[in-house]
Amino acid sequence: MNRTMRRSVAVTTGAVVLAASVAACGSGGEGGGESADSLSVWIMQGTNPDADAFFDEVATAFEEETGATLDVQFVEWGDAHDRFVTSIAGGTTPDVAETGTTWTPEFADAGALAPLDEYVSDAGVTDDLVEGLVEAGTYDEQLYGMPWYAGVRSLVYNTEMFEQAGVEAPTTWDELEDAAAALKEEFPDKVAVAVPGDAEFTVYPWVWGAGGEVATLDGDTWTSHLDSPESQEGIAFWTGLATEGGYSSTGATTWRETDVLDAFAAGDVGMAVMGSWTPGAIVEANADMEGRFAAVPIPGKDGGIAPSVLGGSHLSMFETAQDKDLAWAFLEMMTTGEFAQQWAEQSGYFPGQVSLLDETLASTDPLVAPFAEQFVDGGASVPAAPTYGAVQAKLTTSTMMQSILSGEQDVATASAAAAEEMTKILNGAG
Amino acid sequence: MTAQAPPTPRSSGQAPAGAGRAAAGWSSRTRAAVARPWLLLAPALLVLAVLLLWPLVRVFLFSLQDYGLREITTGEPNWIGLRNYGEILTAPELWTVVLPNTVGFAVLSVAGTVAFGTAVAVLLASLGPFWRTVTSSAIMAAWAMPAVTGTYVWVWIFDADRGVFNDTLMNLGLLDDPTNWFTNRWTFYAIVLLNVIHHGFPFVAVTVLAGLLGVPKEMLEAAEMDGAGAFRRFFSIVVPQLRQVFAVVIILSTIWDFKVFAQVYLMPGGAGSNRSVLNLGVWSYVESFGQNRYGFGSAIAVLLTLLLLVITAVYVRTVLAEEER
Repeated sequence: MNRTMRRSVAVTTGAVVLAASVAACGSGGEGGGESADSLSVWIMQGTNPDADAFFDEVATAFEEETGATLDVQFVEWGDAHDRFVTSIAGGTTPDVAETGTTWTPEFADAGALAPLDEYVSDAGVTDDLVEGLVEAGTYDEQLYGMPWYAGVRSLVYNTEMFEQAGVEAPTTWDELEDAAAALKEEFPDKVAVAVPGDAEFTVYPWVWGAGGEVATLDGDTWTSHLDSPESQEGIAFWTGLATEGGYSSTGATTWRETDVLDAFAAGDVGMAVMGSWTPGAIVEANADMEGRFAAVPIPGKDGGIAPSVLGGSHLSMFETAQDKDLAWAFLEMMTTGEFAQQWAEQSGYFPGQVSLLDETLASTDPLVAPFAEQFVDGGASVPAAPTYGAVQAKLTTSTMMQSILSGEQDVATASAAAAEEMTKILNGAG
Repeated sequence: MTAQAPPTPRSSGQAPAGAGRAAAGWSSRTRAAVARPWLLLAPALLVLAVLLLWPLVRVFLFSLQDYGLREITTGEPNWIGLRNYGEILTAPELWTVVLPNTVGFAVLSVAGTVAFGTAVAVLLASLGPFWRTVTSSAIMAAWAMPAVTGTYVWVWIFDADRGVFNDTLMNLGLLDDPTNWFTNRWTFYAIVLLNVIHHGFPFVAVTVLAGLLGVPKEMLEAAEMDGAGAFRRFFSIVVPQLRQVFAVVIILSTIWDFKVFAQVYLMPGGAGSNRSVLNLGVWSYVESFGQNRYGFGSAIAVLLTLLLLVITAVYVRTVLAEEER
């Protein structure tokens, strides 16, 4: 089958390309060209298990308010980027779509999105939006992505292992290292702290926590600072846990976040940087873990909270939207107030509106409150450059991590190479 | 014998009909004769032109442009001549890592696949009907497994913390601490090689088996009478008889193994974070699609196609030259 498979993949790809272009011709103007009594929307599949019922409710409310009907299409994350690109090319984009935070600047740069600043300030919510998401949705000093929902990574730890080793959740780097040492002593066959090599979002908190920066924009030029002394200190601490302390595992050199989750759920890991959306998956993978793990915000070097990337989605308005006021009415309904809250609750993420978070912050759940604290006080964004997706595709940060963890390069060499590559790609000279 | 007699009158009856047509003028008949095969082929050629030729032309045109998301959006061409080609050919990674990995791997895996596949074919040919069915069903299972599934199985086997391979070595006392086999270029490709050979040998085995069964028994018996041993019989009689079969198998394997992608991309570190294991497939994917540089990717595709055409042409010529001798 292998042989024939490869051939049939080629044939199918050809056929799909053909079909896609035919479809694009056939449905020209589907997005913006229609009359304004209907609004087309693309939403990513799988975030909310009960999305159908949710959008039925939204559609009813939307029709009551505006008299327009709602046409929601669900799109798989996996082929969403390609679909956006094809529809941008064919001018058949929907009126409104959910865009992953790292895509928003890319599509804005391509001229596909409409700026939202005026609408946001007219609605009076400018100061009520989660900062990390605003930062990620801003391109060329204009907001193109309306913060909708997001999650954040914090330090998740196995409470049972911590109790047996007689350590508390760490609040500084020294405490973290001591805890790792105690865990290793007590559980020599387990991973005290997972330092994965192929998970860039677990690296940046240590860079920021030491006072470093991933990359900054000066005028038109991006510069990566992964090789600044502060960043190097953060990277050295994080990788040192593995290379010097031996608190991680040799397998973790090539781990992705999903591998970290598998190992943690199996009860083999003392602590790891994991997302606010993972507790459900951990319990689902291993019901025994229920009640045996908790989270704390990622500690800064000498205490405080180290910033961590907010991963989530914007709602964006496309330039092809014919009735932009109608599109905004939908954006506002979805991202603020009741429906935003409901979506966040059902999907297990945090809403993008700060005032909605008060209730969450008051929670005492050990798997909600620390994440919420991290979300509000320690949320950050990767560089909001249209080319950041290219940096991710090139795996610049993972390359640096793997070469340090496998012992091929030291922190100084690897971070200098990564900074050089990132600067080059961010400025569009891939 | 009498039962076969009836067809004879009918076939002899066709001769006058043919002669009658011959009388109907020279030139129109020739033109019809020339045009007819092309007319019959026209639908297929048309489909091929739409499905293959036009995309090929488009890819070539893209390769002469700096073609990214912005060009897709605006629909405007952005010609840059041969600069994409220049960038590819001057990329240091290409010469130090990507090509050596691709070519070295292709040579080893083609050799491995063909050698192992042939050995299995010889085994199959010598088995009785029952065991041949059992064995070929087993190897068909390896063939039927999708590349993605197969790759994950190999990744699990060699997993550093929970893999069978490390466990066994440690239980035997050959290894003190778990080793991550995916971070080293050589061990990484050794695993890919196992994966690809395991996946590719059934095709070779089945094809060669078909050829083996066609080798005249008399020749083998005659050689045996003359005192030739099993190896001598295989290399002096069977292999020359199967030259064309081997040509097909080697050309196809070369093309497939040059383009290997999933088996590398899905391995830990294989998607680009371990730069020392990049091959042509992964490199071009990361550099073009990952960066939205469709023009650059098209240029790589054009070069790869040319390279494979050259390899195939050289190989076919060698085989044909040997045939003529």
